[in-house]
Amino acid sequence: MLTKVIVDEKVYNVDIDSNTPLLWVLRDNLNLTGTKFGCGVGQCGACTVLVDGVAVRACSTTLSSVANKKITTIETTEDKTVQKLQKFWIQEDVVQCGYCQSGQIMNAAGLLKTNPKPSDSEILSSMNGNICRCGTYNKIKTAIKAATAEV
Amino acid sequence: MQRRDFLKTSSLATSAFVIGFYIPSKSRAQDTTQKEASLQPNAFVEIKSDNTINFIFGQVEMGQGTYTTLAMCIAEELNVNWEEINFKGAQVAPVYNHFYGPLMITGGSSSIIAKQLEMRKIGAVLNTMLKEAASKKWKVRAYDVETKDSKLINKRTKEELPFGEFVANLASIKVPNDPKIKDLKDCRIIGKPHSRHPKEALAKVTGKAEFGIDVRVDGLKYAAVLHPTVFGAKIKSFDASKAQKKAGVIKVKQIPSGIAVIADTWYIAKTALDEIKVDWDLGEFAKISTANMDKQYENAMKKEGASMRKDGDSVKAFKEALNVIELDYDFPFLAHAPMEPLSFAAHHKDGKATLWSTSQSQTLAFGAALKILGVKAEDITYNTPYLGGGFGRRGAINMDFAVEGLFVAKDEGYPILTLWTREDDIKLGNYRPKYKNKVKLALDEHGDITAFDAKVASQAIFKGSPFAMLYKDGVDGAQQEGLATHPYDIDSHNMQAYTMESPISVLWWRSVGHTQTAQTVECSIDQAAFIAKKDPIEYRKSMLTNKRFINLLDDVALKADWKNRKKEENVGYGVAIVESFGSICAQIAKVRVTKNDFKVEKVWCSIDCGFAFNPQNVENQMISSINFGLATLLSSEITIKDGATVQSNFYDYTVTRISDAPDIEVSIINSGAKIGGIGEPGTPPILAAVANAIFDASGKLYTSMPIKMV
Repeated sequence: MLTKVIVDEKVYNVDIDSNTPLLWVLRDNLNLTGTKFGCGVGQCGACTVLVDGVAVRACSTTLSSVANKKITTIETTEDKTVQKLQKFWIQEDVVQCGYCQSGQIMNAAGLLKTNPKPSDSEILSSMNGNICRCGTYNKIKTAIKAATAEV
Repeated sequence: MQRRDFLKTSSLATSAFVIGFYIPSKSRAQDTTQKEASLQPNAFVEIKSDNTINFIFGQVEMGQGTYTTLAMCIAEELNVNWEEINFKGAQVAPVYNHFYGPLMITGGSSSIIAKQLEMRKIGAVLNTMLKEAASKKWKVRAYDVETKDSKLINKRTKEELPFGEFVANLASIKVPNDPKIKDLKDCRIIGKPHSRHPKEALAKVTGKAEFGIDVRVDGLKYAAVLHPTVFGAKIKSFDASKAQKKAGVIKVKQIPSGIAVIADTWYIAKTALDEIKVDWDLGEFAKISTANMDKQYENAMKKEGASMRKDGDSVKAFKEALNVIELDYDFPFLAHAPMEPLSFAAHHKDGKATLWSTSQSQTLAFGAALKILGVKAEDITYNTPYLGGGFGRRGAINMDFAVEGLFVAKDEGYPILTLWTREDDIKLGNYRPKYKNKVKLALDEHGDITAFDAKVASQAIFKGSPFAMLYKDGVDGAQQEGLATHPYDIDSHNMQAYTMESPISVLWWRSVGHTQTAQTVECSIDQAAFIAKKDPIEYRKSMLTNKRFINLLDDVALKADWKNRKKEENVGYGVAIVESFGSICAQIAKVRVTKNDFKVEKVWCSIDCGFAFNPQNVENQMISSINFGLATLLSSEITIKDGATVQSNFYDYTVTRISDAPDIEVSIINSGAKIGGIGEPGTPPILAAVANAIFDASGKLYTSMPIKMV
């Protein structure tokens, strides 16, 4: 059965099992490898994308549940919130191995879209589901705060 | 060695110029005599006629910032446009070998130590050659030419031409034998804070960076592997008929480590594993457990162990002691759990192979390919994507993930990406060993330590490895480093090691032996200071002779305002200092203890790595090492029951999260001492500083990791 998804402004019709997690549709069917696999069970946040502006874990989101919805990934060239965060991620020198940062940025984008001026504790509770083994957390906090400070 | 071997260059027609370089040292001089040397590209810098400039590194980039800092070393001497450099992973060749031995390896916080001088000289050589080529072309003297932003400038005519214009001319320029390089104090790039190289940073924040699991080539197929969960279990028989019929499944294949399913997508492969029925022979280890190991370790330590340090007369010291401190430490198995699950991709066809490998040692993965695929060295193309974290795991001595990927792809004729689940990563071994340690300190009437006895029981990491020289006379390098070599002036020691065996593979884990010796030394010393009723910093200083240690303790005490620290209920401060990987790091942790938990609020970290090549990266690595180490105090633990690992994924193998991360303030001391590493030395002190701070707050020293406050 064909399922229509809109990923980063592009329309795709995919003919696969609609129970397939969105993560693997993106990575293996559409070759959009910017979204990462970390745990497969919604525990690490590496696969975070936006569905209609809300941060979700793509590894635990089925294709059928996002049919006809607007999906935004780290590879977007349009989303202004993501672009702003990317800019501050570079400015604050956040990345080390960089593998989790797609998910970190997308989760932060989800936060800022619903809460443009989060408090420190709101940043922590929102970002607590995203693991970074390089421990770049201190700079992630700085980058999000810098992004929220910019009008 | 012949002078002409000192430096080898080659010109690829006229489209590119590549430069390689040998520095005559004992190990490399031997390399040049090896036959394979003639097959190698010897390239570190590639300049193309379209002005593309590539820096080619044998050290892998797994987050530690090596590409950026090594690039700074070349750029210091070769005046390139920093923003425009590209990075490429090297092919496997002796010219990229490490001084550790005849292999390429990234580990032990050693990349800058090993490669900085060579990279600076390469930059200088190429800079000189470019200037000479330009002076010939412009018919002016060499000193009338200068390099800037990847361009050559004729100072007389102000004419400017990019490096790429001189590619064809370079081949005829004689290579200088003894390039002059700047003193570190005169450098304008080295020693100055630099963010991650802009191209790497941009690629990593936009999802464009290619990691091991991102390999996408024409005809790529995906594999998942069903592994035994009981250590040492074997397949008696299996029925994969249902899996085989699943849409998208290409092949089911038994390999030495399990049963692989190859499919159109990884999700299909992975879900097909559920359809395979296996009759397991659980084997002789089906009953092992960490609880049983505890008993074995305790029993072993009742006997005399292998000596790792014996001096003075500790028997007499304990007889005459006013106080004796006895401490038992327990450190569990630990998984590395890098964020990118392990993977390996290979295309084996017509006696040739292309590999996409995230190994921390290209040579070990390459060697596995030679053996398993039976191809010739010259028929292997080796690709190194970015590594999504390593922490030692991707340097696994048995190269389990590479070996598996090679067996999956062998003879299949199309490229296959074999990818592990997080559960595979957590359950399949190659852990930091489990350690049980015992410490006994004798204190005299002044509170001074007169004897330091210790016992360490664990599996040996280095026994039977390519680094077997680090397992000597029954003592593993990772058992003794930091313990037998502690910095304190103490008269008598009797330290013993016990080599335990189990079917569970063990491995170095960020900061290796120091993950267990840091607490074994620094928490024990702290207890002695407490018994002696002395300030923990002053007490340490009274036993230290090395000025670098004393300066660092003074620096960290100053930064933390140690003398004026506030007495606050349930808040404690702890200090620790550890030398590792050629650097010394002192830390003070401020911890708040609640009823069943603790929160590290602030860490002051002072690091002396001799000279900080990239201070900003030094700071980043300290933050990284501290947050990484914290997980072992907070909750990370691998336990074994009924022959299998109990934990599965990040819900039960828990790690540091953003809410756990303390504020961290880093102070860098350029002491001018020999250059040390920075990727790991931040981890050991945090382990002890936090435990000491909890003791300060609560009066209880936790010696069993992770800390469970009940």
